[in-house]
Amino acid sequence: MPEIRVSHMAKTFGDVSVLHDIDFDVKDGEFFTLLGPSGCGKSTTLNCIAGLEDPTEGAIAIGDRALVDRSKRIYVPTEERNLGMVFQSYALWPHMTIKKNLAFPLNIRHADRADRDRRIHEALDKVGLAHLEDRYPHQLSGGQQQRVALARALVYSPTVLLLDEPLSNLDAKLREQARAWLKRLQSDLGITTLYVTHDQDEALTLSDRIAVMFDGVMTQIGSPKDIYEHPATAAVAAFVGSCNFMLGTVEQMLTDHVQVRLQATGTTVTVATDTDWLPGAPVTVAVRPERLAIVVDEPGSRDLNVLDTEVVTTAYVGSRYEYILRLGDVAVQVVSPDGSLTGAVRLVFGPDDAHVFPGESGPGTEALDLMKVTA
Amino acid sequence: MTTLTNARDTAASDRTAGFPAPKYPRVFGVGRDRLVQYAVLVIVALFVVAPIAPILYQSVRSKPLYDATGVFSFDAYVKLFTEAGFGQVILNTAIFAVLTTFLTLLFAIPMAVLVVRTKLPFGRILAGSMQWPFFVSSLLLGFGWIALYGPAGFISVEVQRWIGFVPWNLYSIPGMALTEAVGLAPIAYVFCANALRQSDASLESAAQVCGSGPLRILFRIIVPLLRPPIVYASVLIFSMSIETLSVPLLYGTPVRIEVFSTFLYTHGLQSIHPDYGVLASASTIILCVTIATVALQAKVLKNSQRFVSVRGKATRPRKLDLGWLKWIATALIVIYVVFGAALPILGLVLRSFTLIFTPLQSPFKTLTLQNYQTVFTYQSYIQSIWNSVIIAVIGAILVSALAMIAVVVAKRSTFRFARAVEYLALAPQAIPGIIVGIGFFWAFAIMPGGNLIQGTLTAVIIAFGLRALPTAFGSISPALMQIATELDNAGRVVGADWVGVFVRILRKLLVPAFAGAMLLVFVTMLKEYSAALFLSSADSNVIGTTMLELWVQGNTGSVAALATIQIAITAVVVGLANLLMKEKKDA
Repeated sequence: MPEIRVSHMAKTFGDVSVLHDIDFDVKDGEFFTLLGPSGCGKSTTLNCIAGLEDPTEGAIAIGDRALVDRSKRIYVPTEERNLGMVFQSYALWPHMTIKKNLAFPLNIRHADRADRDRRIHEALDKVGLAHLEDRYPHQLSGGQQQRVALARALVYSPTVLLLDEPLSNLDAKLREQARAWLKRLQSDLGITTLYVTHDQDEALTLSDRIAVMFDGVMTQIGSPKDIYEHPATAAVAAFVGSCNFMLGTVEQMLTDHVQVRLQATGTTVTVATDTDWLPGAPVTVAVRPERLAIVVDEPGSRDLNVLDTEVVTTAYVGSRYEYILRLGDVAVQVVSPDGSLTGAVRLVFGPDDAHVFPGESGPGTEALDLMKVTA
Repeated sequence: MTTLTNARDTAASDRTAGFPAPKYPRVFGVGRDRLVQYAVLVIVALFVVAPIAPILYQSVRSKPLYDATGVFSFDAYVKLFTEAGFGQVILNTAIFAVLTTFLTLLFAIPMAVLVVRTKLPFGRILAGSMQWPFFVSSLLLGFGWIALYGPAGFISVEVQRWIGFVPWNLYSIPGMALTEAVGLAPIAYVFCANALRQSDASLESAAQVCGSGPLRILFRIIVPLLRPPIVYASVLIFSMSIETLSVPLLYGTPVRIEVFSTFLYTHGLQSIHPDYGVLASASTIILCVTIATVALQAKVLKNSQRFVSVRGKATRPRKLDLGWLKWIATALIVIYVVFGAALPILGLVLRSFTLIFTPLQSPFKTLTLQNYQTVFTYQSYIQSIWNSVIIAVIGAILVSALAMIAVVVAKRSTFRFARAVEYLALAPQAIPGIIVGIGFFWAFAIMPGGNLIQGTLTAVIIAFGLRALPTAFGSISPALMQIATELDNAGRVVGADWVGVFVRILRKLLVPAFAGAMLLVFVTMLKEYSAALFLSSADSNVIGTTMLELWVQGNTGSVAALATIQIAITAVVVGLANLLMKEKKDA
């Protein structure tokens, strides 16, 4: 299986720039996900690779075959790229049966009759729908249509598989099952896969590696664990999983730790860091809810950071309770198996559980406003 | 990340071998996609330019086109206004067009509001009866009106017997405008009715909650919301009445009232030595006016779409109850339908079965098939019926096919001139039929090999086809917009080029729209005749031109018979098509 190489790709519509210097590799057999909010350019990136859109700058290659190279004026049209793609709406041709949908790419490739029938049967078998080959798309359920779309994308053994939010039209329960099934299938086939989604859970569970995109820029590329535990920016931390953000100023720089005075309460916390911070610099401290431990009574160990808070609301979400706590004038989110907490609550977290980001970063100002606790 | 236990290396090895990437041949870097797209552009461009270019060129030449000794001159324009009296023609056209537009709106707006938004007895039947112009051309309507309200018409004579005189004069500009307005009102009605159906009911409910009665709601909320469709419809009606030929030709010729189209008719066809310069310069000026109105139409439509807010989940508007007023409203609509359309058409049909059509003698006394006998004894009359049908059938297939490809090029390709294809395909709506005829006549006259086409059915098909192209384009285009682009993209990704996607996917999905367009083009071309006036020879007459010929000879019985045949053909074809489409839907 070849790898995908996208180098310094940019795209502009008139004077609006939608992609800036997109540069990444997808390794042979890898499941690579483009993750980001809607309008971040992830689908445009995918469409550029598929040839449905034309990048303004840069190059795209699959294996050693150049598909696009603006500097060498190379441009291979979509139909000659030999890719497999699944669309958000599945895009099954409504006037053809399932079998004819799958035969279409094989006929274009002049597969002989026996080979064609064998491949169609194998592909449908793989997705567990071999018994439905004479049905029309509208006679299938959404989940079945999605699997047929996948079978159609695989039936001609394309070089790579491109998936554009293929699970987003399924309902929540089915989506979870489809996710596990898709991962298994991709791994069985070992096909290089590029996946686009705005759903962080999907990205985390499916991917070998994730690229997080905001506003046409690739902010971070890394394994799911990397992205979740070591977010490169506050925006990544906010988008992937939930996160508490607290504004503060740098008090003092220790060797590999920084001391930050929190604006909300005036308390000082210590956070592990590998950057140098100048004292007095405005920063944002980010801690994930599950990293905040709730201590009801006396303070724990000395080296832990301590936050004194008050319970505002409790929400029961089944497997656990979610608390909104008041820390000075900001809200902090915490999860706990214990649903009986009220009044004053003390939170602790270790220096390695938090991250420091420069300036007043994190979610947008609107989200920050909503997190202010006035009561 | 879900961790899987099986090793990836072993899994990948048993996969079946892939195919090489599809490859499409290119000549100098141009694939067949581009070739087809350029071909469509060239065909529509030639189609539109062919009739216009000779007219523009002739209008600034001192001698006929084929005479190489001609020089550049504006003499024709000078002559047009001095000797030919074109100023009066412009004035007549302006009065006629304004009056027609005004009367059309006067009929259409109240009717749309009443039928769509109020509870009317027999509301459904009344709404359905607005479709009659689909079957009847304005030429037939003119014949029918003359048979009833003309100087010797059935009703005129009857009225004269009662009160001693006829209080109206059909052969006048107001008479023409009234007939034309009756014929055009359904078009304006459709625009207003659609807008009314889409309007948000919550606005009215809000007024009702505030305590407004139905009449106040009608005049304060519903009618003001109609402004955009009214503006659009009036521009459309205005431009249609500028180019119309039938009614002014029938009413105006005996009393020498000339408008744009009849001026071209008399100067081009009725004079023994037609002055090409005058004909060309008049055509050029008329073209400028019609193009300006169509451009205005496009602009108004663009702006009006900004007004109309069609929401996804619009609540269905409730119908208002007008109380006893609804009976008056119904009566008025019935009068329009009965006296405007039903009686004239019925009169025309009845006329075809009688020798004399007058209230002085019961028409049933002289029931006869002789009018039909006359039509069917002369080979040339039978020929013209066949010609009309052949032209309409071949035209329907060719024009719909061209329109379908043009729509796909315009809306679903990366072709640099995609917009140009769309504009060119819609441009013919700005070219009056008679000018299309003159233009193609000259084009075939100067074109090498053109004399092979001149006067043949092919020439007529080309000219009628040009007239029908915007209709076909306009009916297929919305259907294509309903087909998701992901279906094209999916085809491209799996290896079909643009032509492949069109042939194997879009063409199939567009079949219902294509059938609809064919029916529309068939009916349009069966009714068309103005473009054939200059183009057809004795062998290539159509029903319309034959009717005019018979009319001039005073053979009104045979005209009525031909008219009845034309209505019957249309009705049968439309009926069969509806049946077929219904069956398809049920299957």
